[in-house]
Amino acid sequence: MRSNRQRSSAAHVVTAVLLLLFFAVLLIWPICQVVSSGFLARGGGLTFAYVGLIFRDPVLVRGLVNAISIAVAVTAITLALSLPLAILSVRYEFRGRGVLNSLLLVPLVLPPFVGAIGMKMVLGRFGPLTQLMGAPPLGIDWIGRFRVAGIIVVEVLHLYPIMLLNLQATLANLDPALEQAAANLGASRWRVFWRITLPLLRPGLFAGCTLVLIWSFTELGTPLMFDFYTITPVQLFRQVLEVSSSPLPFALVTVMLAASALLYLAGKVALGRSSDAAVGKATTAASPQRLHGVRGLLAACALALLFALAVIPHVAVIITSLTATGQWYKSFLPAQFTFAHFGQALVDDLAFPSVMRSIEYASLATLLAVSIGLAAAIVIVRSSLRVRGLIDTLSMLPLAVPGLVLSFGYLAISVSAKRRLGMHTPRFLDVQEFPVVVLVLAYAARRLPYVVRSAVAGLEQTPRDLELAAANLGAGRFAVLRKITAPLILANLIAGALLAFSFAMLEVSDSLLLAQRSDYYPITKAILDLSQRLGDGIYIASALGVWAMVLLTLTILIANSILAKKMGAIFRV
Amino acid sequence: MMRRYVLILLFFAVLLVPVVLRRFMVHGQSSAASGLRLVIITPDNQDIRREFARAFDRWHREKYGVGVTIDYRTPGGTNDIERQLISTYAVYRDRAGKLPEDVPADIDVLFGGGDFSFDQLKAIGLLQPMHLDPALLRTAFPSSALAGVRLYDKNLDASGAPAPRWVGACLSGFGIIYNPDLYQTLQLPPPRTWHDLTDPRLNGFIGLADPSHSGSVAAALMIVLQRAMADAEQELFTTEPRFVTMPAAQRKKDPEYQAAIPRGWKRGMRDLTLIAANARYFTDSAEIVPTDVSRGEAAAGMAIDFYAHVTEDVVGPARARFVLPPHATAITPDPVAILTGVKGERLELAMHFVEFVLSKQGQLLWALPVGAPDGPTVRALLRPPIRQDVYADRRGWESLGDPFTEAGNFNQRGEWMALFTDCRMIWVAAWIDSRDELKKAYASVLSEPDPTLRAALLEKFSDLPIEMKDVAAMSAQRAAQPPEQLDLWRARERIRWAQRFREHYRAVEERK
Repeated sequence: MRSNRQRSSAAHVVTAVLLLLFFAVLLIWPICQVVSSGFLARGGGLTFAYVGLIFRDPVLVRGLVNAISIAVAVTAITLALSLPLAILSVRYEFRGRGVLNSLLLVPLVLPPFVGAIGMKMVLGRFGPLTQLMGAPPLGIDWIGRFRVAGIIVVEVLHLYPIMLLNLQATLANLDPALEQAAANLGASRWRVFWRITLPLLRPGLFAGCTLVLIWSFTELGTPLMFDFYTITPVQLFRQVLEVSSSPLPFALVTVMLAASALLYLAGKVALGRSSDAAVGKATTAASPQRLHGVRGLLAACALALLFALAVIPHVAVIITSLTATGQWYKSFLPAQFTFAHFGQALVDDLAFPSVMRSIEYASLATLLAVSIGLAAAIVIVRSSLRVRGLIDTLSMLPLAVPGLVLSFGYLAISVSAKRRLGMHTPRFLDVQEFPVVVLVLAYAARRLPYVVRSAVAGLEQTPRDLELAAANLGAGRFAVLRKITAPLILANLIAGALLAFSFAMLEVSDSLLLAQRSDYYPITKAILDLSQRLGDGIYIASALGVWAMVLLTLTILIANSILAKKMGAIFRV
Repeated sequence: MMRRYVLILLFFAVLLVPVVLRRFMVHGQSSAASGLRLVIITPDNQDIRREFARAFDRWHREKYGVGVTIDYRTPGGTNDIERQLISTYAVYRDRAGKLPEDVPADIDVLFGGGDFSFDQLKAIGLLQPMHLDPALLRTAFPSSALAGVRLYDKNLDASGAPAPRWVGACLSGFGIIYNPDLYQTLQLPPPRTWHDLTDPRLNGFIGLADPSHSGSVAAALMIVLQRAMADAEQELFTTEPRFVTMPAAQRKKDPEYQAAIPRGWKRGMRDLTLIAANARYFTDSAEIVPTDVSRGEAAAGMAIDFYAHVTEDVVGPARARFVLPPHATAITPDPVAILTGVKGERLELAMHFVEFVLSKQGQLLWALPVGAPDGPTVRALLRPPIRQDVYADRRGWESLGDPFTEAGNFNQRGEWMALFTDCRMIWVAAWIDSRDELKKAYASVLSEPDPTLRAALLEKFSDLPIEMKDVAAMSAQRAAQPPEQLDLWRARERIRWAQRFREHYRAVEERK
C-alpha cells in the first residue's frame, strides 16, 4: 500500500513554519510571559518574593492542597466508575447497550459550573434532597456541610465520559490473543484482568487520568458556583482585578503551572505510556460476550444508574429554568412553573447580547481553528518533515495546559504592553478595554485539538491516490486541497468544527477571566453574573444553560455520527 | 446520512432561535447604539443600569438633542472596582507615584459604591473636581450633610467655589434581612439589633459577604463597630459628665476618653466575631445574601436596604423582611464621580450625566413605581433619593420612608472611618483566612455543657488578640510603604495576623 506521506514540499515547509509561529505566539509566549511576570518586581528587577509569599501564606497553600486533593479524588472516583463501565460496554453485549452507551456521553453537553447552578437548588437546605430525607424542620445544609463533596460529585459526573471514551477506545483496540493465551494457561479472570488487561490499558488510563486530573485541578466554574474560595483557581480569579499592579497573581499561576506539570509527571510515572507496538493493536476484534436474562438486566441497570446520576444536574437546571421566581421553597418540585424566563432571557440586557457575542466569538474562533487545524493535520499526516511530531504535540498542548494559565498569559502580555506603550497601546492588546481579539484567539487555541484530531482522523482514512492523480493532471496544491482533499474529509472537518464551535461557546476560564466588560460578556460570564443577581437572575441563567445544553447535545450527536469510534480520539492527549 | 442532515439543520435552528424570537419580542426598540457614548464603571445591579441608561438617553435627547449610549463596566462589587481602578491607573504612575497630566482614562464615570470608597479614590487622585452649577448643588443639597454624614465631597476650587470630587446620587441604609418563617422554626424572636445576630442558636444560619469584595457589607460591619464605639463614648459621658461640655480637641487628648473608645471598639469586634462565627459562608457577592435568606439557606444576613426591598418584593414578607437596627445604622450617600483623565467632550458628557442624576427626573427614577411617568419601565429600584425636595410628594413610593426624618442621631465619624481599610484586612485575616480554626473553636465552645463555662469561653473566643491601637499603627505603616512594596506588605501583614488569630482559636479549642 502506498504510504500516505509524500516528500515534503516548499508548501509544507512554509506551512510548518507558519504553524510554529502561530503556536509560539498563542501558546508559548503567554506561558513564558506569565512565568516571567511572576518573578518581576514592580520597580523592575528579578524577585522571588511573590513566589515565596505563596508558600508562606497558609491560605494559598491550602488552596493548592485543596485543588490537588479534589483533582486526585475526582480522578480516582472517575476511574473507579469508568473502568468497569468501559469493560462492560466493550466486552459484553446486552439489551440497550447501544442506547445507554450514547446516553453516557450526555454529561459533556453541560459545563459543570452550569450544572452546579442546578445542584445548588437540589442540595438546598430545604431542596428536593432534603424533602426526600424526610424534610426535618431546620432542613439539611448539604452545601454548608458537604461543599467539597458537592464539587467532587459535579466534576465526576461531568468528566467521567472523557475517561470512559479513552478507556473504551483502548479496550476496543486490544488484541484479545494475549488474554486468551493467559486464560488457556489457567489464569483466573481476575488474574488475567490484573496481569494482562490492566497493563495493556495503560495508554488509555494515562490519557484519561491526565486529562481529568488537570481539568479538575484547574476547574474554576464549579467551586466558584459553590462559593468555595479556598482553592487555587478561584483565588486566581479573585485576583484578576489586580494584575496591573501586582505580580502576585502571575506568581500563583506559575506555581499552578508547575503543579500541573508535576501532576502530569506523577501520572506518567504511575501509569507510564507504552509504545504502540507494546499495546498490541488487535488484528482481530474480540467478540463481545452476550449477557442474558438477569445478568444482562443488571449490566443495563448499572449503565442506567450512572446515566440517571449524571443527568441530575441537567434535570435540575431545566427545572430551575421553568420555576416561577421564588417558587421553589420547601418542596420537592417548584410550586409554580413558567416559561417566562426564556422570554426574559431574550430581552434581558445581559443575557441576549451574551448569546450573540458568544456566537460571534465562537464562529471566528472556529474559522481560525479550522484553518490552522487543517494545515496542521496536512503537515502531520501528509508531510515527512521532522517537525511534524512537534506540531502534533503543540496542537494538543492546549488540552494539557490549564486554560487559566493561558488566560493569565494573555493578561500578562496586555499588562506588559500597557506598561511599555502606555497611551499608544493598540486596542486589541488592551484586554481590559477590548477583549474580543484575545478571546477569539484564546478560544481558537483551546479548541484547536478537536479540529486537528478530527482532520487527522479524516486524512488517515483517505488514501493519497486521488490527490496524486489530480496533481499529475496539472492541478496546483491549493486546487488539490480545495477540490479533492477538503471534500473527502469534509465530514470530519464539520465534526471537528462543530465541537470546536460548541465548546468555544461554553468556554469558562477564558471567558470569566478575560471578559471584564459587560458589553463583551460571552454566555458563560453572563451566566455567572446572572446567577448572583437578585430576583430572577438564577432562573434566567438556567434558561441560558438549557439553550446551551440543547446546542451541545446536537453537536455531540452530529460529531458522534460522523466520527463514531474515533470520537474518543478528540479527548486524547 | 439523513439523520445527520436533520441533526445539522436542528443545530442551526437552535442556534438562530433566540435571534428570530427576539425580533418578535422587542418591538420598536432600537438596538443600535445612539449618538454619544459614555463609559461608566459601577457595582450597581442590572435593573439600575438599565433604567439609568434608558432615562439618561431620553433626558439627553430632550435637553441636548442627541442620544447617549452608556457602556457599563461591571467588574464586581465596590471593593473590586476600587482594586481595578487602583490597578489600572498604577500603570501610569511615575516612580514617585504621581499621575501624569495627560493620563488616559478608559472610563468616564464611577457610579455607585460607598462614600468611604470614593474618599479613598479621591485621596489617591483618581477622581477629578466637578465644576457643577452652584444653583444645582444648592437645590439638590440645601444641607451638605444628613445626620452628620456629608452628602457630597467638600472640595473647593481655587476661587472657593464648590468643586466636589463626588456627589451623592441616592441614599443607602444598612440593616438586617431575615426569614420570618425560618426564625419561627428556630423559635427565635425576629432580630432587631446587630447583637441579635450573635445568638449561638444562629450557628450556620447567617449569610455574610466577604468585606474585602463587598463594599456594602464592609460598611455595615463598620457601622456595628462605630455603634459600639459611640456607646462607649456615651457611657463615659454618663459617668463623667465633664466630657460633655469639654471641647472636642481637648477631649480627644484625655487619657480616660482615649481608653474608652478602644473599649467600645473591642466590644464591637466581639459582636462581629460572634456574627462571623455564626456565618454559613462568606460570599463574594452581597446580592447572594438576601437571595439565600429568602430561600431559607440562611436565616438572616446583613444587607443594604434596596437589596432587601427587592427580595421582599419578590418572595413576600413571610420569607424576607428587612429591619434597620434603631440608632445603629447610618444613612449614607451612594455617590457618583468623574474619573481623572477624562477631558473635552467626554468630560462634558460625564458632567451631563451627573447633572441628570441630581435632577428631579433622575432622583425620582430611584423611587417611583414601574409605569409611573419618569419612572422605571421594568422593575422599581426602591432606593431613597438624595434630594430632599422630592420627598414633598411621595405618592406611589411611601413605603420607602423618608430618611431625612428617620435618620437617627447615629453619626459615622470621619476619624473612626480612617480605620476602615485596615479593619477590612483584619476581618479577612480573623474570619476568612482562619475560618477552619475559628469554626472548630466555636464548635468546641458551644459543645461545652456547663453554661457558665460556656459563656466564659464565648467571651474568650470573641476576645481577639488585637486592639484598636494595633489597627491605627497598621494604618500608619501602610501610609509609609513605597507604592511598589504595598501589595507585598499587605499580604505579609495579613498572613501575620491570620497566624496570630489561628493560634488564638487553637488555644480556645484546647482550653489553654
